Amino acid sequence: MNPNIVETLNVAREVAWLPWAVQYFFLIGLSYGAYLLSLPGIVFRRPGWAGISRLALLGALVCGLAAPVALLADLHQPGRFWHFYAYFTPSSWMSWGAFFIPVYLGGLLIYAWLAFRPELARHAASGGKLGGLAGVLAYGGHDSRGALKAAALLTFVGAGLVALYTGAEVAVVQARPLWNTPLLPLQFFVTAFAGAVGLALLFNRFGLRDAAASRRMAGVLAASQVAALAVGALCLALGVSGISPVHVQALAEVGPSANWQLSAVWAVAATVLTLVLAWKAPGSGLLIGLLALHSAWMMRWSIFIGGQEVPKTGAGYYSYALPLGPEGLLGIVGTAGLWVFLFVLITTLLPLDRLAAGTPDKAAA
Amino acid sequence: MKKAFQIPDPAARAVSAPPAPASPSRRNFLRGVPVLTAAAAIAPTPAIASTGRQQWAMLIDVRKCIGCQACTVSCIQENAVPEGSFRTVVSTYSVKLTDSAQPAGTYVLPRLCNHCDNPPCIPVCPVSATYKREDGIVAVDGDRCVGCAYCVQACPYDARFINHETNKADKCTFCAHRVDAGLLPACVETCVGGARIFGDINDPEGELARRLKEAQPQLKVLKPELETAPRVFYIGLDERFTGKVEGQGTLWKPRSLPHA
Ligand code: SF4
Ligand code: SF4
Repeated sequence: MNPNIVETLNVAREVAWLPWAVQYFFLIGLSYGAYLLSLPGIVFRRPGWAGISRLALLGALVCGLAAPVALLADLHQPGRFWHFYAYFTPSSWMSWGAFFIPVYLGGLLIYAWLAFRPELARHAASGGKLGGLAGVLAYGGHDSRGALKAAALLTFVGAGLVALYTGAEVAVVQARPLWNTPLLPLQFFVTAFAGAVGLALLFNRFGLRDAAASRRMAGVLAASQVAALAVGALCLALGVSGISPVHVQALAEVGPSANWQLSAVWAVAATVLTLVLAWKAPGSGLLIGLLALHSAWMMRWSIFIGGQEVPKTGAGYYSYALPLGPEGLLGIVGTAGLWVFLFVLITTLLPLDRLAAGTPDKAAA
Repeated sequence: MKKAFQIPDPAARAVSAPPAPASPSRRNFLRGVPVLTAAAAIAPTPAIASTGRQQWAMLIDVRKCIGCQACTVSCIQENAVPEGSFRTVVSTYSVKLTDSAQPAGTYVLPRLCNHCDNPPCIPVCPVSATYKREDGIVAVDGDRCVGCAYCVQACPYDARFINHETNKADKCTFCAHRVDAGLLPACVETCVGGARIFGDINDPEGELARRLKEAQPQLKVLKPELETAPRVFYIGLDERFTGKVEGQGTLWKPRSLPHA
């Protein structure tokens, strides 16, 4: 900061991507991360993964269904969402995103339905809550491997495209040096995947409490934290060494701010703590699960809200105070409420402990 | 063409928006700017190179600006800009002096949309609502904008914002509704110091082209390294103020908006 210049009059621009956007990026990230975690048990039938993968698929579904609502709410003209489809604009990543989301969610719904069909039939047969509905949804309850694999592949393509566009959309914004780095999409991806593991750990904790599954996930989580630290260190090295001008600029933009220094220390400390716990005390499923989810959310909050606190032309920083209404706190609480509603609805038909048990694979084999 | 000082003449404002009532409803706001909406409804056209037609631009002579904010106020009046938002503002800085008996001087910098010729706000718009008119004005089609604010993020000059009354992207339009009616932008009309010169860069006889030519060696634009090709040019732009200003943050903040 140059102490010889004091800004006496200027505009303070408001945050234009609201906490709704943070929620969207958080939920869609958890969803595609959890989808990936569903593959080893459900598609590849790796031993010991069945329960984990079914819990993960539940997470992918709940987060994936809640995410678009947050995205719509972030538009200031939500009723005009159809304009995205009427006025496709290939130069805009956001425009592509409007087409990628349905590919991913469509694939995910079919994949989840095919994967859970036998389970739904079992729920109906056992006379569980809403058994009638489960029976209708099961539609015979067949386990069709071919179709399942095809749907998983479609979802894989969709998940890849969603991960690509959500990262690129932010990373291409040259006007915000903090966002404009090629590593940002990778950071989104790594933290999203780690958050998804955290979510599956929580589901396991509140379901069967399968200790073996918890340890297995702790191992995956530890690996993801190593990856997160490695990418973070690479960003820092590129910025400090001056090798990459975009990273130098990104660092210069937030480096001098005490708030940002605190956020950075916090993020690194949380990641290291998660890593150490996952490695040394893999039984602490609840704690490391929550820590991983917290890191994924905080990263997005800092990037989006913190990033918009950096003026593009003015001096210093804008200060953001979370409003209590729909444009602030209510948005966060609202998406959380929707998430809980979807979770309760789906787990009524597909109870957590049954998913965690992972028996149907054996039955079908 | 330009007067040093002019009291706003009600007759000259006949085709423009009436002064904003204290709290204009959205309906009133829309009704108030028929010319703007009509202009915005014209089909978007891709950015054009100079075709020999009119290309509107502005020259700001920072040396003549007295920092009175008459432009800021007239713009708000003319365009019914909601409280707390600005399409143009004169950023004001207190700068320590080393070569003078005075301890500090004031540096003023009028800011507005640069109507860039290579505008980063256009390609990101997911519905092509932001576009460049044939006359170079960067405009928002209010009937199409979904209010996603991607353009707000992409503009490197903080020129855009979401208008809380229309819930659409908003920014300086070079007063397109006035220009189309043969009038000058409101800020130019009211500029006390005669610092803002508006005109057609393709008209060699025009005052703007003449002044640009005269000032050629000292002409500057904001953030030239981004290659946005701004159509707002400055004379007397201090190097320290062309990008993000390194200095102590603003002492002044608008009252927080009463969100609905
Ligand atoms: S100044 Fe900003 S809003 Fe105006 S044309 Fe350039 S990029 Fe777009
Ligand atoms: S806010 Fe409107 S003009 Fe801006 S990018 Fe979104 S749709 Fe386009």
